[in-house]
Amino acid sequence: MDEKEVMALLANLEEPAVLATIVSAKGSTPRKTGARMLIGRDGVIAGTVGGGCGEGEVITAAQDLFDGGPPTTVRVDLTDDFTSWSPAVCGGIMNVFIERANPDLFGDV
Amino acid sequence: MKLSAARVAARVLEALEMGERIYTAVVVDSADRSMIGRRWWLSGRRSRGTLGDPALDAAVAGAVPSLFPPRESRGALSRDFEYRDGERAVTARVYLELHGPPARMVIVGAGHIAIPLARMGSMLGMRVEVLDDRPEFASADRFPDADAVRVIDFRDPFAATALGPSDHVILVTRGHSFDYECLVRLLRMEAPPGYIGMIGSRRRVRATHEQLAREGFTTEDMGRVRAPVGLDLGGQTPAEIAVSVAAEIILFHAGGTGVPLVEKERVVERFFGGEGA
Repeated sequence: MDEKEVMALLANLEEPAVLATIVSAKGSTPRKTGARMLIGRDGVIAGTVGGGCGEGEVITAAQDLFDGGPPTTVRVDLTDDFTSWSPAVCGGIMNVFIERANPDLFGDV
Repeated sequence: MKLSAARVAARVLEALEMGERIYTAVVVDSADRSMIGRRWWLSGRRSRGTLGDPALDAAVAGAVPSLFPPRESRGALSRDFEYRDGERAVTARVYLELHGPPARMVIVGAGHIAIPLARMGSMLGMRVEVLDDRPEFASADRFPDADAVRVIDFRDPFAATALGPSDHVILVTRGHSFDYECLVRLLRMEAPPGYIGMIGSRRRVRATHEQLAREGFTTEDMGRVRAPVGLDLGGQTPAEIAVSVAAEIILFHAGGTGVPLVEKERVVERFFGGEGA
């Protein structure tokens, strides 16, 4: 799914969703600044911020926003020791901003 | 009501549809937590929303033209902005995006190099236009990937193509004098294309520059022309030449070095102590 398709989905959401955006990245990361992902209550709707563990952290953090949590920045560290065979060995660090994409569709506001 | 990410996305799509350039901003960190997530957009003189403080809005609006070079049509970055809140200087971290009409590749000369080059321009996401004065060459059948194919008069080659800093013009006409005519027009534009490339042998390029100098163009003007166009890959065929031009355009935007990555990184040499052993 390309960037414009994610943008079109974001513009036309019919369910509450959390938008995750890579707002800065340092070193080697799978996706660069500007990459976007939409997360619904039941999981990812569209896009990616790089997959693997890093993305899992973002999806977990997004659940807080469905429970009324404030927008925040998730710092994803992909600089694990290479020999650990962890999937997080790209060698970079990225900041992912998460926020309610469409606050009007969240029942509590 | 606060401007949501969804609303701003709808506005961005609308701007792209209209061929407009739009900047979007959102506060991602601030001592005043209530500002986080506040957003704003700016397109031409129109803007909507707020980052939570008019002084911050003004600081960001003033900075965007220098943060995103006019030749770029896409961009994303975060910056710390300092602004005054009454007597205090405060800092907010703002994430900004630029969305503009897709970059354009204008190929002048619809000969054998133009065919693979038009395809590659399209693959790179550019809007491709091909110009030639020969209707049998400047035909849509020859260029299925081009967004526009125009039959032009070399006395005024860009009459139907309004050019600006975000454009890429590649001169691959059949004749030296046609390339030269185009070049003079491009260099005299108030806001010339950011990327001007001309194909040619060293001799032909030198002759062109001599003629430009006689016409009163400065070495700075001449320095704006990439001639001979392309990276030194050693290729010969039209497809190979098109790859070398496309590669130079990527380099122009992405700011790499153009050297093979294996030579740049030298992983074996650096980490295994050998000379490639």
